Amino acid sequence: MIAVEDVCVQLPGFTLDAVSFRVGASEFFTILGPTGSGKTLILESIAGLVPITSGRILIGGRDMTDLPPERRGIGIVYQDQALFPHLSVARNIRYGLRYWPRAADREEKISQLIQRLNLDHLLDRAIINLSGGERQRVALARALVVAPEILLLDEPLSALDPNFREEIRYLLKSLHHETGITVLMVTHDFAEAHFLATRTAVISAGRIEQVGPVVEVFNRPISPSVATFVGMKNIFEARFENGMARAGPLALPLAGPVDSACRFITLRPEDIRIYSASTGAKENASNSFIGLVTRIDHQGIFCDVWVRSDGLLWQVMLPTSQLMEKNIAEGCEVRLQVPPEKIHVM
Amino acid sequence: MRREAGGSTQLARMISELGKPADIMASADYKVIDKGLIPAHADWNILFASNQLVLCYTDQSKFAAEINAKNWYEVLARPGVVWGHSDPNLDPCGYRSLMVIQLAEKFHNQPGLYDRLIANRPEANVRPKSVELVSLLKTGNMDYAWEYQSVARQHDLKYIQLDDHINLGNYKFDPFYAQAQVKVTGHAPGTWTTQTGQSSTYGVALVKNAPNRKVAILFLEYLLDPAGGLKILEDMGQPTITPSQVVSDAVLKALPGNLPALVEVKK
Amino acid sequence: MRRIDPFHTLAAVCTLLVVGFIVFPLLEMIRQPTAADLKASLADADVRQAIWLSISTSGTAALISFVFGTPFAYLLARRDFKGKRFIESVVDLPIMIPHPVIGIAILSLAGRQHWIGRVATDLGVRVMGSLTGIVIVLTFVGLPFYINTVKNGIEAIPRRLENVSRSLGATAFGTFRRVTLPLAWRSMIVGMILCMARAVSEFGAVVIVAYHPMTAPVMIYERFTAYGLRYSQPVAVWLIFVCLGLFLMLRWLNPAGRTRA
Repeated sequence: MIAVEDVCVQLPGFTLDAVSFRVGASEFFTILGPTGSGKTLILESIAGLVPITSGRILIGGRDMTDLPPERRGIGIVYQDQALFPHLSVARNIRYGLRYWPRAADREEKISQLIQRLNLDHLLDRAIINLSGGERQRVALARALVVAPEILLLDEPLSALDPNFREEIRYLLKSLHHETGITVLMVTHDFAEAHFLATRTAVISAGRIEQVGPVVEVFNRPISPSVATFVGMKNIFEARFENGMARAGPLALPLAGPVDSACRFITLRPEDIRIYSASTGAKENASNSFIGLVTRIDHQGIFCDVWVRSDGLLWQVMLPTSQLMEKNIAEGCEVRLQVPPEKIHVM
Repeated sequence: MRREAGGSTQLARMISELGKPADIMASADYKVIDKGLIPAHADWNILFASNQLVLCYTDQSKFAAEINAKNWYEVLARPGVVWGHSDPNLDPCGYRSLMVIQLAEKFHNQPGLYDRLIANRPEANVRPKSVELVSLLKTGNMDYAWEYQSVARQHDLKYIQLDDHINLGNYKFDPFYAQAQVKVTGHAPGTWTTQTGQSSTYGVALVKNAPNRKVAILFLEYLLDPAGGLKILEDMGQPTITPSQVVSDAVLKALPGNLPALVEVKK
Repeated sequence: MRRIDPFHTLAAVCTLLVVGFIVFPLLEMIRQPTAADLKASLADADVRQAIWLSISTSGTAALISFVFGTPFAYLLARRDFKGKRFIESVVDLPIMIPHPVIGIAILSLAGRQHWIGRVATDLGVRVMGSLTGIVIVLTFVGLPFYINTVKNGIEAIPRRLENVSRSLGATAFGTFRRVTLPLAWRSMIVGMILCMARAVSEFGAVVIVAYHPMTAPVMIYERFTAYGLRYSQPVAVWLIFVCLGLFLMLRWLNPAGRTRA
């Protein structure tokens, strides 16, 4: 549905470099990245609101690179909703209608949408008096009422209070399901991507680092920056020989062959098994080693345990209950075990 | 030496009424000194230079190739020609310009000439100081303007020289000049005085109780020297009265320093 | 006993000084002429004509600024381009050029010694001593005030609002009409008033381009040099009242100096 081909955008102070990805029809696609990485710029380029220096943008197979935004049929909802302050809720929602041909059942569809989004009691209100969740719903209604082919969402949940966030999250998922509209959402929250999207792209400093299904990007990042972003904490430089990964003085067995271009190993904190050194199953197993607990951060149900071993600092996550059972505390010696299949190389 | 420029009438008033310290006063109109300074603030008046009015223009002026001393009053009446003069209420050159036209009407026997020409001169073409007219001519915003001959020559403007009967430059024609009269505003809005035509004759006087009397006399000796000051004036386009004149023998005898040798008596 | 913050004392003192600095000369101007002088001045048709001329030419200059300055201000507010800083400085130039220089420059362009002047006079357009000339001068000095005010007003409107409008199907002009203009109109009014106020008081440039027809500042000067203080002050007083009225209107239309976001 959307094909972004080698798009470069040159702005004073920021550059988007050779961005390429595809979004299928009716797909829910996210673009993930830290703040300032250029996510909003990609959205605005696709919408035609920012001129492109080079590259092409195709929508439904048609080259739209030179088409003005008002002819693209792409809706955009901003993080702060960008509602027109001088118009009422009803006027905001109906703003775009005059530019599109009038279908016979248009009025009916509009009232259905307004009801679906729970806005009928708000129609005559002024924008300033709305809550965060109400504003987001008005912004969605305004964009959807002109039946665009594509909906662009710029961090729709970040500006909301946690109570509204869940409401809108469910709303987005069901709207997508009901209307079959193609959605491209930008966010820095991985949990949102997991919940809403099927495929995702990770962007950093104006370049796309990885594109793929959410689960794959989550578990098999291809670079340290993507790895950090998806929550892989233990990233170490390593040499690979004879089926072993050597990171510093440590040698860990690997589950399979390794591409010669790989330079890092990384592990998710919850994949590492931790035992008190005094107990310790599987002593002297080739994939275990001893370390010292330097710090424990309690996060409620889970806790982060920081272990120093041979100059490397490991972050391990486990349920707090297990912490008690295994008798692990700050300052004590522990044994870490790394299942070979959980080692991810980049 | 410090020089202060301004309207003659105003400067004379400053000396006589406000007690402004001055050594020498020169005026484009010698009568200002006669009326304003003598006898309380000056004893005598020496007439040393004259000037006449000319019609100035540039090569960009309309009909510049055609205009001459015989047809200028017809050219100025043509529609589309932009001609002007300075404000008669503020500048003697202004009312003198109007007098020239009045005299031309009589001399060239052109009844109604004055009214015809004024009809072709909207108020916008009148400027407070005559020197502004020079820049208007030079930028091409005005086709013709009335100025003193000295000014025309100093600014390299083309000009038409007029007959002595009408150019206010020759004191011999004072009786003829007296036919011209222009009403100008007086001290308050709504009051008027009348200016009568006469030749532009420049006078210079030594102010009584001059703080620097000795040096002032030396300066006057230089000014009135035909090889000195008078020559400079001529070179700058200002016609001089050589030798300079005083009105009576008594005055001649009263002159200090070497001045008596430089002037003659003309009644 | 409550301790008074020295900074607040300083602020209060400065307030008094500044207000006094502005108000005393004006009070003196208003106080000196007698009621009879003021009445006589107003009864004088020439005076009324001059004040009217000042207001009408300034208003025209403001309208021209509105028509030509608005798209330019929009461009400055929304777009970045090479040399933008230079252009912005150019817009500010009329503010710092000495006023007589402005008059001389315009006259030089308008005379037959310059090709523009030749074209103009051939077309029958007169600049020296005409309403056209006055309006040209006033627009020149007033434009920067309009453009800067409106540029700031538009910058205060989030670009995202215009983006959303475009995405919903509106053209650039439609967006300007339905989103930008309703949110920026106050700054345009303020800009026009500032432009007009600046133009009304202009003297140095006007007096060179057109001594007649006389605007109010030129008349004040003319009366001062010809008759003295007594006859020029009343005209000045009436002009001050007109200017005061303009500024009060400005404050009333834009109470807290804020534009709606």
